[in-house]
Amino acid sequence: MTTTTLYLERTSALHRLNPVTKLVALLSIILAVFAVPHWWIPLGIVAVVIVPAAVLGRVGGRLLRLFLILLLPLLVVLFLIQGLFYPDGSTVLWEWGLAQLTTEGLLFAITIGSRLTALVLGSLVFVLTTDPARLMSALTQVGMSPKIAYVISASLQIIPAFQARAQSILLAQQARGLAIVGSPLKRARALLPLLGPLILGMITDVDERSTAMEARAFGATPKPTSLIIVPDPVGERVARWLMFLSAIAVVVLVVVGVIA
Amino acid sequence: MSGSREAHARHPFHPRGMAPHVIECKEAFMSSTTSAAVDPNRTRNRIFVGLGAAVIVATYLYLILAQPTELAEGGLGTSALIALAGYLIGAALIAVGAIHRLPTATLSLIPIAIVINIAVGQLAATLGLPVYLDSIGTVLVGVLAGPAAGAVTGALTNVIWGLTIGPIALPFAVTAVVIGVLAGYAARLGMFRRFYLAPVAGFVTGIVAALVSAPIAAFIFGGATSGGTGALVAAFQAFGNSLLASTTLQGLLSDPLDKTITFTVVVLILFALPGRLRSRFPFVRQYNVFGKVTPVAPAEPAAPKA
Repeated sequence: MTTTTLYLERTSALHRLNPVTKLVALLSIILAVFAVPHWWIPLGIVAVVIVPAAVLGRVGGRLLRLFLILLLPLLVVLFLIQGLFYPDGSTVLWEWGLAQLTTEGLLFAITIGSRLTALVLGSLVFVLTTDPARLMSALTQVGMSPKIAYVISASLQIIPAFQARAQSILLAQQARGLAIVGSPLKRARALLPLLGPLILGMITDVDERSTAMEARAFGATPKPTSLIIVPDPVGERVARWLMFLSAIAVVVLVVVGVIA
Repeated sequence: MSGSREAHARHPFHPRGMAPHVIECKEAFMSSTTSAAVDPNRTRNRIFVGLGAAVIVATYLYLILAQPTELAEGGLGTSALIALAGYLIGAALIAVGAIHRLPTATLSLIPIAIVINIAVGQLAATLGLPVYLDSIGTVLVGVLAGPAAGAVTGALTNVIWGLTIGPIALPFAVTAVVIGVLAGYAARLGMFRRFYLAPVAGFVTGIVAALVSAPIAAFIFGGATSGGTGALVAAFQAFGNSLLASTTLQGLLSDPLDKTITFTVVVLILFALPGRLRSRFPFVRQYNVFGKVTPVAPAEPAAPKA
């Protein structure tokens, strides 16, 4: 399960926290960041909360790498689009043909960009420090349907088996003369002889698996016993409510107009 | 329904070595347990699904109607928050309400569909194809198991995507839900009975998907979901369109094409499947998704020999 996800197994205070607490913290941060109309607040939260959390969770290096791969290209595109082609820009700083570098466009780009940075980096720290199996157990403990936990855990476990099967089908089709090199169109055409057997085999498996699950009374008891019991101290439960309520308070203050 | 039962009864053996009455018993058992277990929560789940759909529609209408005045004032206002929260809450409500209706056979199909979504989507991205192709599994489940199953597949695909590759796709969960639901209803309406009708359904689904996802691309990503699409958004803005209009136009250029191809791939795969595999799904038999009243009949006589 750990090989296919972004989760990094480390020992840290952040890893030991109940996953639900981390999830509530993440959602509270996102709520606050998207409510407040100032661009420096999301960046402040990234600097004061998210990056220190990543260092505390000993995933700082991986976070930096993912930032460079996932987020930086988006931010560059964002500043190119909105900085140069913002439709409502009036203060023109520089002009070249249809492109106009405007103050409004840059402000808009930095507002969206800072929120996006907080959203993506915050979620990444959560995913990097949270074992999916533990997350599912913790969420089931607080009332999530075990069916959702099953689907998510099963998907994560199927990925390696799926890749192995896709590889063997690809080799078999190549042995029969399927060309997988050449132009993108040619490679796209190779997709169908690969997908057909793959999906056929998978659907055949479904029947066996559901029979096995039915035989073990899957979904019969509303509250099944959990293999992993995630500790949920009172302090964390209180902290969850405090974070959630303060995020709601921020949203209310913004809507009422106190923070503008 | 009675037609397919006769079809089952006519064959001496089921292809997997199970006598037909065992299959019938299994289905009867499954439906009885699920309805018995779900009964107390049935109205609650209905309310969840209805509420989720209402939240999504309200979010879209609010963003379309309120957005121009807010942008004129020179800021984003609450558009981004409403787009993110409204769509995520709506998608989550539908997924939670829908998953309780699904029998175990459908539940064990969903992980496979999710993996197909992610694998083919990644493959299309690495091949550098101009389409996403990240909803083949969602459409497949919608067609084989109905709109509720399609919705769950779509929503959970984006969760898995967030856990394995990166959380950037998560705000688009609502689009995946809409695609799964529409694929299910298209199958129910008989759009998969002829191979040339499926691309039409795909085209329509693509238009709806483009409309629903435009506010996300505009207010959360500022039009920058990827390099190629970003260039299109910039071009539309340069010709004087607003941000939301630009992301909508960009979506209308790429989504209908993508979903037309997706639905075509799915219908080709499903037509290539043996009839007995397709007709194993109760939804397929109930709504006669593939058109033939007894789709198992021609394929079966060979089964006992095999």
